Amino acid sequence: MRVVIVGGGVAGTTAAEELKKQDPSLEVVLISEEPLALYSRVLLPHYIKGKVPRERVFLKKESWYEENNIEWLPGISVTSLDPDNAFVSLSDGRELPYDRLIIATGGDVRHLPFDLRGVSYFRNLDDTEHMLQLLNETPSGSPAVVYGGGFIACEYINLFAYRSLPTTICFRGKHFWNSVLSNESGELINNHLKKNGVTVLPDTVLEKVLGEKELTGVITSNGELPAKILGVGMGIELDRSWIEKAGVECNRGIKTNEFFETNLPNIYAIGDAVEFYDPTVERSIQAGNWLSAIVHGRTVAKTITGNREEIKLVSSYSTNALGLEMIFIGDTNREAADKVVLRGKTEDTGITELFIRSGCLVGAVLLGRNSDRAPLTKWIQSKEQIESHLDRIQNPNEPLV
Amino acid sequence: MPKITVKVDVDLCIGAASCVTIAPETFQMNNENKAEVLDRGLIPDTPSYERTMEVTDSELATIMMGAESCPTLAVFIFDEEGKQLFPEE
Repeated sequence: MRVVIVGGGVAGTTAAEELKKQDPSLEVVLISEEPLALYSRVLLPHYIKGKVPRERVFLKKESWYEENNIEWLPGISVTSLDPDNAFVSLSDGRELPYDRLIIATGGDVRHLPFDLRGVSYFRNLDDTEHMLQLLNETPSGSPAVVYGGGFIACEYINLFAYRSLPTTICFRGKHFWNSVLSNESGELINNHLKKNGVTVLPDTVLEKVLGEKELTGVITSNGELPAKILGVGMGIELDRSWIEKAGVECNRGIKTNEFFETNLPNIYAIGDAVEFYDPTVERSIQAGNWLSAIVHGRTVAKTITGNREEIKLVSSYSTNALGLEMIFIGDTNREAADKVVLRGKTEDTGITELFIRSGCLVGAVLLGRNSDRAPLTKWIQSKEQIESHLDRIQNPNEPLV
Repeated sequence: MPKITVKVDVDLCIGAASCVTIAPETFQMNNENKAEVLDRGLIPDTPSYERTMEVTDSELATIMMGAESCPTLAVFIFDEEGKQLFPEE
């Protein structure tokens, strides 16, 4: 049986590895658009700061694929899928038949409609090398601008501070993660950034970049700003052209069940590109983070080899902006929650937001309150009814357990 | 039973907690949002970023899987002679 995996990131590579572990007789083909062996995108900020050398970001050697009997096609992408005749067309003109197909294509970074030297993105190793070059050309004290209010914006803020570049951050909403966080939490983050020397411009749209050959500034809906370097973090989008055309059902991501099966037979999807049914929070969610990608890869391998096991994971993502730890656990979709309650207030050193559905905790965001992490993760896992003791939970000075 | 040393590089750890999810008897997050090493869920002394312990082969496999799942490769595992088992050098 031949399993074709589209996407050589951590989800696709884990699926390939696990498939061979479960059944060495399987023929596994791994198609990777990036012409590089698997590396950790999470290590890229460490690489820019010089904490690890370039070779340390790689998690697999190029020889690993052959040693493990995985046919690796680097630098190749899929251009179309024919589900009736079970084959994919590749960018090199070949047609590749499959018995099972796993889509693990991740997402593409959203770009501004204009470009200029000095504008940077932060998704892959190429972006990172480019940014490193820009940073090396930018003397400390030069003005930097960050555009975006999410995880990548935090990375830029930390990197620019590390390089002593005075930074202004602009984003569309009132605060970071505008559709997830309450105004109280958003204000806490804004205040923390301001206290640490960052100029924060909420409700601001980037309209234009200035400069002839190199960036000299940006024009925003709130005026002009000088900028030698601009870090853009506007999220990712799914390149769904060939996927939707083939009839694979998509919503915000490719729709699957808890075993990562799509609506079409023998076609599966995992990783950042997927919107899967999560039995822990009893809803279809997206979970674009490292551990989720690994667990998706392992779970789909079990589905394909006949050892079906639904996904069991309380997904979490952790980041840090200038010393403020921020942790997202479980399902933090505000619209899908019946109620969101706060533990702490803007004036405190931290706030935890709890997302409740049908009386159970389904998600949480912790800002500067790391000690809440373990008990809240357990509560989400065990579908703990917390409605009756909300008074105690909302008191930030009372321990959760 | 193999005797191993498990060490977390605090500077590399970003608090992703993947090791804790995969191997909860060996790792836990502390209040600094860093992973600490436990001895099979027991805490004979204060939590630590480095611990030497005797483990069964199956426990070692789980600890290795926890280390392999770390996106910043912040978990190091050494054998009794001090040879680095993970990450591969």
